[in-house]
Amino acid sequence: MTTDNLSIPGTQSAPDIEADWSTGQLVMKGDSYPENTFELFGPVISWVDRFLTSGDQPLTLVLQLIYLNTSSIKAMMDIFDMLEAAHAGGRTVSVTWYYDSRNERVAELAEEFKEDCTFPFAILPRTD
Amino acid sequence: MMEASDLYSLRERFADQRILLCFNGPISRSLIEEIGNALKNYLHAEQAQPSSATDVFATYIEMSQNIRHYSANNGYGELEASATVVIARDEADRYIVSAGNLVEIADGQALIARVAALALLDKAQLKAAYKEQLRKPREAAASTGAGLGLLDIARRSSAPLAASLTELTGQRAFLSLRATI
Repeated sequence: MTTDNLSIPGTQSAPDIEADWSTGQLVMKGDSYPENTFELFGPVISWVDRFLTSGDQPLTLVLQLIYLNTSSIKAMMDIFDMLEAAHAGGRTVSVTWYYDSRNERVAELAEEFKEDCTFPFAILPRTD
Repeated sequence: MMEASDLYSLRERFADQRILLCFNGPISRSLIEEIGNALKNYLHAEQAQPSSATDVFATYIEMSQNIRHYSANNGYGELEASATVVIARDEADRYIVSAGNLVEIADGQALIARVAALALLDKAQLKAAYKEQLRKPREAAASTGAGLGLLDIARRSSAPLAASLTELTGQRAFLSLRATI
């Protein structure tokens, strides 16, 4: 049994990241505008790659990302592209992006990512 | 050295131009975050709409990180890597985010031309250009400089971006970029 989990505590400019291999869930919460996105997203991208290239467990991405700088957007696009490829290969993958209903910019950002994805992609408001 | 009494005229000028926050000097990664934090708190206190607060914050982050990347890519020393950042409000109460830095004259002229070209695009065209830039390989995107960030700022703006170049001695110029949110 693999225990390949990720747990990266967030900072002011980086989101909280938790990846659980046993449940196939990757959770990212907060703002993302680090100067060096490779440092932050490198381990996440490799985890997604390892997960998608082994077994056939579904992958669920749960996002509560708020503001992303353009290099974080590029990195997220890479992750969504990996999910899209896995989906095309028959793997079950999905994204749920929660946003604060008072800030429509987050929903717009999520919608733009969704435009390029054919797997299940839910964008849900939170009122708390 | 500036006399203490001179600060009054500086303060008057800030008040006159409705400057909320400004910075001038060598800018570090942590300083960008700290000023960003102050800006967030300020916008919150001013009860700005969450969407416009995001736009102002995003514009500030893209502009200042662009300056950091540019200075690093050109091997600039600490002093040359200085930035001038100003966040203000205009007569119509719109937020104005401006940033300036030292650049090679040719790069500055290229940016002025790019800003002029972006001014001709409507929101849908800006979105298409943004998506195209997002899909470009990293190496190709990096060589154009400030590509995606500039498009992001243009999309968040309610008026075309404005840029100006002040030529200095040698090959250098001071570039100013202004966004109206």
